[in-house]
Amino acid sequence: MKLKTTLSASLFAISAAILPRVASAEVAPLDLVGPIADYKVYVSENLEKLVADTKTFTDAVKAGDVDKAKSLFAPTRMSYEAIEPIAELFSDLDGSIDSRADDHEKAEKDPEFTGFHRLEYGLFSENSTKELAPFADKLMADVTELNKRITDLTLPPEKVVGGAAVLMEEVAATKISGEEDRYSHTDLWDFKANFDGSRKIFDLVRPLIEKSDGEFITKVSGNFDKVDVTLAKYKKGDGYELYDKLTDDDRAVLAAAVNTLAEDLSTLRGKLGLN
Amino acid sequence: MRTNSRNFTTTRRNVLFGAGTAVVAGLSGAIAAEKQGEQVTDAPVSDKTQERQSFYGAHQAGIVTPRPATGMIASFQVLAKTPQEVERLFKTLSQRIAFLMKGGTPPEFDEKLPPSDSGILGPVVPPDNLTITVSLGSSFFDQRDWLAPHKPVRLSRMKASRNDALDADLCHGDLSLQICANTPDTNIHALRDILKNLPDLMVLRWKQEGSVPVLPPKSDGSHETARNFLGFRDGTANPDGNDSSLMDQLVWVHQSDEPSWAHAGTYQVVRIIRNFVERWDRTPLAEQEAIIGRKKASGAPLGGTGEFDIPDYANDPEGKVTALDAHIRLANKRTKTSDENRILRRPFNYSNGVSKSGQLEQGLLFICYQADLEKGFITVQRQLDGEPLEEYIKPIGGGFFFTLPGPANEDDFVGRTLLEASGHKVTRV
Repeated sequence: MKLKTTLSASLFAISAAILPRVASAEVAPLDLVGPIADYKVYVSENLEKLVADTKTFTDAVKAGDVDKAKSLFAPTRMSYEAIEPIAELFSDLDGSIDSRADDHEKAEKDPEFTGFHRLEYGLFSENSTKELAPFADKLMADVTELNKRITDLTLPPEKVVGGAAVLMEEVAATKISGEEDRYSHTDLWDFKANFDGSRKIFDLVRPLIEKSDGEFITKVSGNFDKVDVTLAKYKKGDGYELYDKLTDDDRAVLAAAVNTLAEDLSTLRGKLGLN
Repeated sequence: MRTNSRNFTTTRRNVLFGAGTAVVAGLSGAIAAEKQGEQVTDAPVSDKTQERQSFYGAHQAGIVTPRPATGMIASFQVLAKTPQEVERLFKTLSQRIAFLMKGGTPPEFDEKLPPSDSGILGPVVPPDNLTITVSLGSSFFDQRDWLAPHKPVRLSRMKASRNDALDADLCHGDLSLQICANTPDTNIHALRDILKNLPDLMVLRWKQEGSVPVLPPKSDGSHETARNFLGFRDGTANPDGNDSSLMDQLVWVHQSDEPSWAHAGTYQVVRIIRNFVERWDRTPLAEQEAIIGRKKASGAPLGGTGEFDIPDYANDPEGKVTALDAHIRLANKRTKTSDENRILRRPFNYSNGVSKSGQLEQGLLFICYQADLEKGFITVQRQLDGEPLEEYIKPIGGGFFFTLPGPANEDDFVGRTLLEASGHKVTRV
């Protein structure tokens, strides 16, 4: 009995130590103005690049240049993936730009299945640009509309800060399996963009908690570094190897890093005093 | 020969398991710690295996019946095409359900034959609070010219809502069985019995099992609503299933434009709603509560103190207490007009394994009943479309069905009123 008490007490001590600290009270709402403004610039730059890259990509699709369109698919998506938490605020556009076949009851044959992955399906699975032109036009129109809407948008701080974790949740829930880019297997490009987008947010708010929560900063940075090192092994030319080249061990390393980042970054809003 | 083999079994059991049989015989409602000489592989005991629901009545069982701890939806493709075949389907189903819900000893066949019963509940089948509820999908009527004119007027094929990612292999069906009991084994036993008895007339398409967390009885006899896998109470604002005039109004089909054979039936909605539980568990408590509109621990609406407090939206027009897009506020606006949109929810939680991404495949096997599919589920779901909770949930399957009226008595069977309405002359069981 005595032994049991001692044991559970010490177990509790351990679990208490890894619990997130109480939300920091030292961060004033005004402190966030700078980082949010900087993030808005980051989003705008990515959107400009997305619009330009999508133009080149969809032009290649419409010109019937399968090889060129294939080579542009993964890099074009990166600027979308990097700012996904903001892009997703408009769920109608997120659905038409980035939904996957299994979001639709009739899968690839579903008329609602449009956007990047519909083009990916045509290019990589059917190796053709046949009948893709309307999807190319729609993607271009949707991306242009997205840019317009976000330009007019005041970014809610909790969405920005929460976005660091949201990006990791996306990877953890549906990307680590390789089901995002299932026809092209270019998932590692998406990963890179998701991680960069998450780290950008983390880096912007980092100075606000660096002093008060150095241990947290060290842990999160360490996990981002671990991801970078793992992804760097698969660098090829300007991009990455296909996802099926990823070894099971490295996939496990990435999965664990993503889960840990998701756990830790889920406390970021609270640490910054945001609801 | 038969007796000999039984004796052998008993002897062998005594040798292998010592005093096991004696222990089982002496146990009724004993507290775990007081059990003497219990063996590792002894069957866990329950004093609820003799709980029994009646199959007969104006309505089928399993709708206003208090939900037991476990449930299952099984969806079938029906091969019975002619009135005669459909009659055999309905009668056989009714006979099996009547036996399973009552419990008893299955017939013994010559041992050179496969046994009549799977045996998983032992040689005597306990009722264990079992209910089996039979419902028909839109396709059941659409694919039979002689039944199409008799389809309940509000029955439709489930359409995808905006947050749905429907998997065609988990959707729709000609016939659904809702099977509920105190233990999952009783449900599985019932399903296997029905599959074995109707192999030529129906084919299983999909199934989903679920359960709800069991609570100790409260000393004052009061009840509380069970929790879902988001950790919140689910069903607090349900209309009272004991209020028969309210059920007549909200649950049982009675409308004059519905075919009279369908009166006393109801519309069943099934939805398999995946919950992203890892992500939910990483969401701040205050945000979880704001998304749902209730306190997590007590279940009280925000601004209230008790689970069954009625949220006062009239005095909170800007959503300062309960956000305007909180789940409970969108689902039930608590106005005079929203009263007619109330549905009788009867959900279970499910847990299926691991996704391709290594996350838990868990969620809600949502089941609800209503007299009007359009005013009920379809309206409520439309109000919920775009809710913040969507970030954490993804409906992946389900279907709309019409739950047949109940069989009046032992001479009756489910679906008789439909067959008679179609002009087919049925013989009573």
